[in-house]
Amino acid sequence: MEILFFGNLIDITRQPKELIEGVADTATLKQLLEKKYQPLQTAKYFIAVNGKMVQENTILNQGDTVALMPPFSGG
Amino acid sequence: MKTKSIKNIFVEGAIAPQKIANSIAQHATQKNIGAHSIFLGQVRADEKEGGRVQAIEYTTYKEMALQQMHDIREELFKKYELTCMHVYHSLGVVPAGKISLFVFVSSTHRKASIAACEELVEAIKFQLPIWGKEILNNQNTVWKENH
Repeated sequence: MEILFFGNLIDITRQPKELIEGVADTATLKQLLEKKYQPLQTAKYFIAVNGKMVQENTILNQGDTVALMPPFSGG
Repeated sequence: MKTKSIKNIFVEGAIAPQKIANSIAQHATQKNIGAHSIFLGQVRADEKEGGRVQAIEYTTYKEMALQQMHDIREELFKKYELTCMHVYHSLGVVPAGKISLFVFVSSTHRKASIAACEELVEAIKFQLPIWGKEILNNQNTVWKENH
């Protein structure tokens, strides 16, 4: 499973993506990432699974792409 | 089912004024159009703590941004009587004073193009996964926020 980071989150993770396997759902992934990258705990971000925003805990499958995105600031 | 293909909206660097002039010229053959609404976003040299904004560097989650843009476009075509709609957004570094967003909406009568253009710009700002990093003249960076 590919995890993508965007915007200021890359300042925290120091990489735009990483591969993680065997994570059951988005809540577990969040926990895992916030433990690995502690400043994520206070960062504002949304999660998208395969390009679709998810609000609630979502089951993850092999091959999914999960994006962690801070508030948008285009234009 | 709609079969319209997903269009790219991204251009590398600033949007040249010539591109805007050319876009207007290209619509001269479409004589059912009576109104064009154009919005141009320009990079501001804001004063920040520790320096002035020299440029903004834009990044995106391209796949998702283009899909979202596609959905926004379909919605607006359903809601308003539009003839056409073009969106260009910069990626990479755009210096202060240069154009980073070009939105061009055309319709038969003015009300549709004006309303759709405004709605479209708001949607671009708040629904597209694009991020701007402001580069200050002391080389520090500040992540841009949309309000």
